Amino acid sequence: MSLDTLRDSIPDYARDLRLNLGSVLTPAGAPGLTEQQIWGVAVASAIASRNTEFTRQIEALATVHLDDTYLNASRAAAAIMGMNNVYYRFLHLVEDAEYSSMPARLRMNIIGNPGIAKIDFELISLAVSAVNGCGMCVVAHEKTLRKHEVSREAIQSAVRIAATIHAVAGVLEQAPAVASVQSAAA
Amino acid sequence: MLGIGQKFPAYSLTGVVSNDLNKAFQTFDQDSSPGKWRVLFFWPKDFTFVCPTEIAAFGKLDKEFKARDAQLFGVSIDSEFVHHAWRREKEELRNLPFPMLSDIKRELTTALGILDPEAGVAQRATYIVDPQGIVRFVYVTDLNVGRSPEEVIRVLDALQTDELCPCNWQKGEDTLKAA
Repeated sequence: MSLDTLRDSIPDYARDLRLNLGSVLTPAGAPGLTEQQIWGVAVASAIASRNTEFTRQIEALATVHLDDTYLNASRAAAAIMGMNNVYYRFLHLVEDAEYSSMPARLRMNIIGNPGIAKIDFELISLAVSAVNGCGMCVVAHEKTLRKHEVSREAIQSAVRIAATIHAVAGVLEQAPAVASVQSAAA
Repeated sequence: MLGIGQKFPAYSLTGVVSNDLNKAFQTFDQDSSPGKWRVLFFWPKDFTFVCPTEIAAFGKLDKEFKARDAQLFGVSIDSEFVHHAWRREKEELRNLPFPMLSDIKRELTTALGILDPEAGVAQRATYIVDPQGIVRFVYVTDLNVGRSPEEVIRVLDALQTDELCPCNWQKGEDTLKAA
């Protein structure tokens, strides 16, 4: 399935998302990002958005731009942040210094050795954190990226992808329900 | 006894890796598993009672160790031929997934300071060595006391678990751990 076909499967009531999806996944629509970064962020955001079929489609499109190592690192970022976003969000929300001083005792070794450039892994982790809604995680990853001189434009592009992918994943998940209500009404 | 933070000594020992005599023996040294953690555990004598249970228990957890990028080695001062005979003889050891090393010259055992002065054999010691060759954990029990491989896994997990995620960033903290 091409990106265009995928776009066309988005129902009319979400036509803004349809148009956004078409633009944010292109180099022109995602200034500051490499093609690899665009598709790594897309894959991880799709996984974080929990729509199996849509993830499969995004992954199929991503294989044109990503080798297995990069693809796996993107999946790994979605996997590990699925844990960290929950754990650290708890720490941030509870605002209790005692908990913060307790070691997490959770393995997250992939972050130390992700197999791709650390900046890329960070960028993908930021996108996943945005999808998973951990405020302080977003703040912390953004800070790290800025420290490594990643531009605001690039960071914004990554978050635009995350936001669009998340919304489309939800719409496509619900599309069959909407279609059946519409046909019942007709 | 060699302790935490010290360089694990160099060695070159013959290990038993198979029941088939033609491919049973292989030499292992400190560089045989580059980039990996090493877990070396010693027992006093082959063909004694506590040992096979304990060795088999490590064998059962081999996958757990491999999943943590760690290579297991069992060591005693018995010769490689005794190791081989024991491995073939004892059902629990027949499919042992890690090498049994022979420190027949007692050099490694002596360098580590775990050669029992009375019995003249290795004490029941366990070492976790990090990929840089540094001793990170030592565990020695009395010659007659078995040990818990689960405890070794627990320690390995703790040693390998580092909160590398910038999410661990605390309010007001300027330098990030992962930066």
